[in-house]
Amino acid sequence: MSNFDAVVIGAGNGGLTAATTLARSGVKTLLLEQHNVPGGCATSFIRGRFEFEVALHQLSGLGSEDKPGPLRRLFAKLGVLNKLEFVEEHDIYRTWVSDQLDITLPADRKATIEVLIAHFPAEKEGIQRLFGLIYQFAQDMLQGVYGRDPDFSAEKYPTFCNYALRDSQSVLDEFIKDPLLQLTIASYWGYVGQPPRSLSFLDLAMMLFIYIEFKPYHFKGGSQALSQALLDSFLEAGGIARFNCGARKIVVDNGEMRAVVTEHGDQIDTTHVVSNASLVTTYLDMIGEEHLPVKAVAALKPRSIGTSAVTVYCGLDCEPADIGIEVSTTFASISGEMDTMIGSAHSFEKPEGLAMTCYDLADPEFSSPGTCQVSLINLCYADHWLELPPESYHEAKYKYASQMLDIAERMHPGFRDALEEVEVSTPLTHMNYLRTPGGSIYGFTNFAKDNNMFTSHRSPLKGLYHAGAWVAIGGFQPTLESGTQAAKAIIKAIQK
Amino acid sequence: MKNKMTNPFEQVAGYKEIREEIEVLSKYGDDFTSQRGNVNATVDRYHPKRLNFQVSEIFTETALAKTFRLVPENGYLPPFQAGQYINLFVETQGVRSSRPYSIASAPNQRAYYDLTVKAVPDGFVSSHLLEDVKVGDHLSSTGPMGGFFHNPLSHANEVVYLAGGSGITPMMSMIREVTDRGLKRQMHLFYGSRNPDDIIYKQELERLAEMHKNLTVDFVISEPEDDYQGLTGFINGKLLQERLGDLSKKTFFLCGPEAMYKFCRKELEGLGLRRKQIRVEVFGPPGDVTAQPGWPEGLTADMTFQVKVSDSRTLEVSAGEPLMNGLERMNLELPAACRSGECSYCRVKLKSGKVFHAPGTKLRKSDLQFGFIHPCMAYPLGDLEILL
Repeated sequence: MSNFDAVVIGAGNGGLTAATTLARSGVKTLLLEQHNVPGGCATSFIRGRFEFEVALHQLSGLGSEDKPGPLRRLFAKLGVLNKLEFVEEHDIYRTWVSDQLDITLPADRKATIEVLIAHFPAEKEGIQRLFGLIYQFAQDMLQGVYGRDPDFSAEKYPTFCNYALRDSQSVLDEFIKDPLLQLTIASYWGYVGQPPRSLSFLDLAMMLFIYIEFKPYHFKGGSQALSQALLDSFLEAGGIARFNCGARKIVVDNGEMRAVVTEHGDQIDTTHVVSNASLVTTYLDMIGEEHLPVKAVAALKPRSIGTSAVTVYCGLDCEPADIGIEVSTTFASISGEMDTMIGSAHSFEKPEGLAMTCYDLADPEFSSPGTCQVSLINLCYADHWLELPPESYHEAKYKYASQMLDIAERMHPGFRDALEEVEVSTPLTHMNYLRTPGGSIYGFTNFAKDNNMFTSHRSPLKGLYHAGAWVAIGGFQPTLESGTQAAKAIIKAIQK
Repeated sequence: MKNKMTNPFEQVAGYKEIREEIEVLSKYGDDFTSQRGNVNATVDRYHPKRLNFQVSEIFTETALAKTFRLVPENGYLPPFQAGQYINLFVETQGVRSSRPYSIASAPNQRAYYDLTVKAVPDGFVSSHLLEDVKVGDHLSSTGPMGGFFHNPLSHANEVVYLAGGSGITPMMSMIREVTDRGLKRQMHLFYGSRNPDDIIYKQELERLAEMHKNLTVDFVISEPEDDYQGLTGFINGKLLQERLGDLSKKTFFLCGPEAMYKFCRKELEGLGLRRKQIRVEVFGPPGDVTAQPGWPEGLTADMTFQVKVSDSRTLEVSAGEPLMNGLERMNLELPAACRSGECSYCRVKLKSGKVFHAPGTKLRKSDLQFGFIHPCMAYPLGDLEILL
């Protein structure tokens, strides 16, 4: 029990893929998780007759069997493909602006362009040119960046080099006049937490491209099924997992990993550590500033803590169609002004918009017959929640959630009356379960400066590796991929 | 990139400018070192793993029930929602175990939590608490948890409490909060007891009902003396309809012993209510698991089985007791909180063998797929192998 080749701290997406990749390569691995179930964000909880999906809104990068995306290939390598069932969504999303707009985009390039033109005929040419640009950009990205073209140059990949670091708003302005059309095309900004004016075009273009080309997916049994499948694969490969057992300390000696001490005081000797915990708590709480090179702590300074969220998990005693829900994913807004929307992420003031996911449209078996499950999510920072006296917390939580329900009610009259179970998570909830600063769900902020063109993931200490949102852009696909990358680096180091 | 000498991204428009911005931020950006320990400190304020108490006072409520006033040793108690419980850890007869108890005091004061404990026949933990625990003793528990509380987002403002025996405790916290804070909620309590002497908080409830127009209290006595004046029998659908009138705009909260729970749940369902109107507190393991629907025929409670635990120990447990209790008797303590199958703290993987989960156990779909069980509500049906 006391000696492992590698210890993985945290069984979130990145920790699970890291641990599974290691164990399947014959590395003697221990996985530590402070909570009682695997998954981190990729989990579920039960209230009444509902099992609520916590975090997955749309899985990107999976692709079909005929046209597999990077994630399907990753799942095959991790031995989980046959343990999972997937459900495909046929639309990417619906954009709804109160009294102004209601438009649904199919997960198909041609069909989406047609829908956009039908709603905004005057912008026909701009729409076509913008989608041409998005696809050319993605082509450059795949070939030049992911494909690691040794002859990469601005001459060979002009679209990528001209547009990658532009803010999305300026690119939208170049092609599109109507702010409602801009909002429609940029709806995915919520998945990164940056409105178009501070969202790199790289992030917006690649999200649209990946969701349209590989389609959005869900898991049967929710994202908890993925976490359990990964854990199962890890255990089958001989890995050891301990739940209700967080890591308290990483013992460093002379700049190298020596051991991990659990919250129960057990010391586990190891020379390789993958931390799926936040970079900030790993450095400052588990390792300690005194054991880190000055440079490593200084490298944190340009970063800032990313957004958390308020989510209202709703179990309804009706079918989606009964209250007019026809699309899985809706980005809703009252005014249609994106800057106001992100502004309200810093206060308890009335939320301006939200994202709504109904899980029963793609998978009618998701909830019991006659019921359905909807989550309402609003990005939100933790600061104002941290300032609350604890005795005011529940009231503040319900008040804010109630205003989110007002938006859902406005969009789908009858929504409130159908509520059978409701649970609310806040930045403080996420802090409790994820142990991230600010309850961040996406790691650091995702400005252009936070793109991995500028951030080095080389660890400051020998034997230490990172996985999860703090070293990737947030979301399922990137965090899952980050764990495997960390594991591969360890395997390479061990084989040396 | 293969060519490590030059960074190809330097050719991306805007790259140099962002590099310069990063240089500036490296000097003037956030100082994260000041945040050391902040995450754990915040989590401890809301969800401390353990609460350590001293018993400051013990009140005798009835011949069978006492209230224990617990004050925090570190001077701080986390907020909770009226109706939630803590899981109290005890050590008695050489066995470490625990039981969940609803907090009876109101959440608007957090100088102490009051727990009211009623004697359960052959109660392993309750008899220890009632007979052995004295003022000045130390106790520990989990933080507050549970989903039995008034949720203003989906519950009506008119609430009906159906309580039996010690099932009054979560309702008492709710009633105290509403009356203390002057909340607008309309409350009607039906409280079933065997005889008038068994009514816990009788005087306080009568006093509160007198003082507050929004609280109506009906005591319902099941085994009255011949001369008893008042409601008698069981709390049933007919009584509820007579006393309440229109039921369609009300939310019902139910908490009581197993027999009452089963009876009242059926009565409520017979009133044509929507499912959302009926809130039921979780219910621990059943008194007699072999009487539950689905229990295999021919398997008796006293049959014993071997449990192989991943640390290579083999322990003997009996079929009629939750696996968690059996393992505790063998000095193997699992993480525990709700002991009712809902919180999943005790969740373990079953490597081989079969268990029976008592009704009400909340297993995730993927737990079923990958063989995870909740030992606090799982009964062995044969020899088992579990992975801790």
